[in-house]
Amino acid sequence: MNPVKTLWSLLFRLFPCPVPLGLHQVGSPGPDSPVLVTCNFHLTLQRLLRVLRRDGVDAWLLVAESRGVNVWCAAGGDEFNTHSVVSSVKTSGIANKVKHRRLILPPLAAPGVRAADVHDQTGWKVSWGPVRARDIAQYLSEGKKRDEPMMRATYDWKERLDTGLGSLFPFYLVGALGFAVLAPTLLPAYLWVAAACFVLFMLACPWIPGEHGLTKVLILDAALGLALLAGEILWPSGTFPARVHLVIAMVSLLVYGSELGGLASTMPSDLDPFMAKLGIGAVGNVAWAGTVRTELLNGYRELQLEHERCIGCRQCYQVCPLGVWEMGQDRRAVQARPQLCTACRACLVQCRSGAIQARPTRLGLEHGLG
Amino acid sequence: MFSYVFMKLLERRPPSYDRQMDRSSGGRVLQIKKQVASQVQPGWRVLELGCGTGELASMMVAGGASVLGFDLSPAMVDFARKRADDEGLEQRFQVEEMGVDGMDSLEANSFDAVVSTLVFSELSTDERRFALEQSLRVLRDDGRLVLADEVLPRSAAGRTLHAMVRAPMLALTYLVTSTGTKPIPDLAEEVQQAGFTLDQETRSHGDSFALVLAHRPPRTAATEPPMDPETCCTDSLPGPEGDR
Repeated sequence: MNPVKTLWSLLFRLFPCPVPLGLHQVGSPGPDSPVLVTCNFHLTLQRLLRVLRRDGVDAWLLVAESRGVNVWCAAGGDEFNTHSVVSSVKTSGIANKVKHRRLILPPLAAPGVRAADVHDQTGWKVSWGPVRARDIAQYLSEGKKRDEPMMRATYDWKERLDTGLGSLFPFYLVGALGFAVLAPTLLPAYLWVAAACFVLFMLACPWIPGEHGLTKVLILDAALGLALLAGEILWPSGTFPARVHLVIAMVSLLVYGSELGGLASTMPSDLDPFMAKLGIGAVGNVAWAGTVRTELLNGYRELQLEHERCIGCRQCYQVCPLGVWEMGQDRRAVQARPQLCTACRACLVQCRSGAIQARPTRLGLEHGLG
Repeated sequence: MFSYVFMKLLERRPPSYDRQMDRSSGGRVLQIKKQVASQVQPGWRVLELGCGTGELASMMVAGGASVLGFDLSPAMVDFARKRADDEGLEQRFQVEEMGVDGMDSLEANSFDAVVSTLVFSELSTDERRFALEQSLRVLRDDGRLVLADEVLPRSAAGRTLHAMVRAPMLALTYLVTSTGTKPIPDLAEEVQQAGFTLDQETRSHGDSFALVLAHRPPRTAATEPPMDPETCCTDSLPGPEGDR
């Protein structure tokens, strides 16, 4: 336990915070105990261990390479990949600890870790566990069966505050530094207004009209803008007391909302495809232009299922965190709710037969995709 | 006192990797590779862990050895293959794209030497142990192990100074690549733990760099390393306190 590291990884989640790789014992695991796999992000491991201990789980826990990034982000960025898991299985000595050969992976790892390849390279079979750590105990006690809610990503108020805090705090801090240097008298107003806007926006965001984060904040900003205008008219020139607060609120909301999709587990990113359209393809280590994900989001590609190629392996149904796929009467996959897709690519990566493809659309062909 | 953590920056561009590595280390990297290559005798079959651009492999081939190298980075593998092609080494320098976890696919007792430079500091404790166990397995009796890597200085003062020298480079590397490397606490000790006989450990760079020479003891029942599944891998579990 390192409280400083935990606080850091809580507030600065945009920066990797790695922990050593290797095998952990949770409770008192034996040769028949389940083997769980997770990433090597400090905060993830701390939270996972806390929940597993609280729930009295006895298990082996393999911490595999994800370059210090959380499971979903690292899988999406290919930092948590098949090789991470294969290497952990082979080098950790787990084969000498248990009699079975079954790994339980978080389904959010599916965009990076290909279950079929892990099996081919190690002989270990991959089962997709529940999305949330708090469901693991129940999943294990019920014979590794998952119900629908265990399989699906959510974005409840706690998750909104948590991911929002982890991703937006650096921006809040930069704003605070800016005020401290350029306009110190306004700093207290900034600190509370920007913080209050963050909390209120994250709590209220499902009920604010608009499909994207940006639409939501533009609607709010329009309302605040009207309030500002009204204030300026009603108060004698330049004396409207809430003027600064309203401007701070409008700007902070714009920052919070512009990439809400990138923070939300249930919405596609808005910023990445937008930047790709502008021709800005990468910042530092993070690239989006030329990625299948961004092309899907920009409508340059679309997911297509070749029905006759589907072998009914159910992987797409098992890994989709949004419930896009169902299994049909003929035991083949059906893209039942394509409108929910956030282009995470999990189904595309896991599909055993290549029945699911990201094919260029007409728009994509016009933009030079072949 | 010196640190090679910045190599993670240069790795992003294989074509200029060797040149920039060597320049930024003041010629030391090339020196190290020459030292490693000088340990290899003509006619030997050598395995290189993490061969990168193939610079060291090329030196060893020039010295009369044949080399099987592997690397996890596809860009490095492409570059090394191109080098093998350009320098006409195809027959004597082969490159595979894999990590140390793939070493279990190599034939036992089939190499005269295993070499590696600046790779172990990128591996986890488990991966290093696995790589050493597998090296022991693939080496013939009396086969050589030659490792050169960044290690932690032995004195507390040395470790403090090393950390201070390293910090700015680590920060820059982390900012650009979001990753880094880790000096190995005691490479020579790990080599011996795996069942090798240590021949020589040479420390340089203010005790922060080690060249480790070891050999595989002959295969007799007495010298076979313990492979008891109950004891293997238990002692060095990195599990946090209070787990057990």
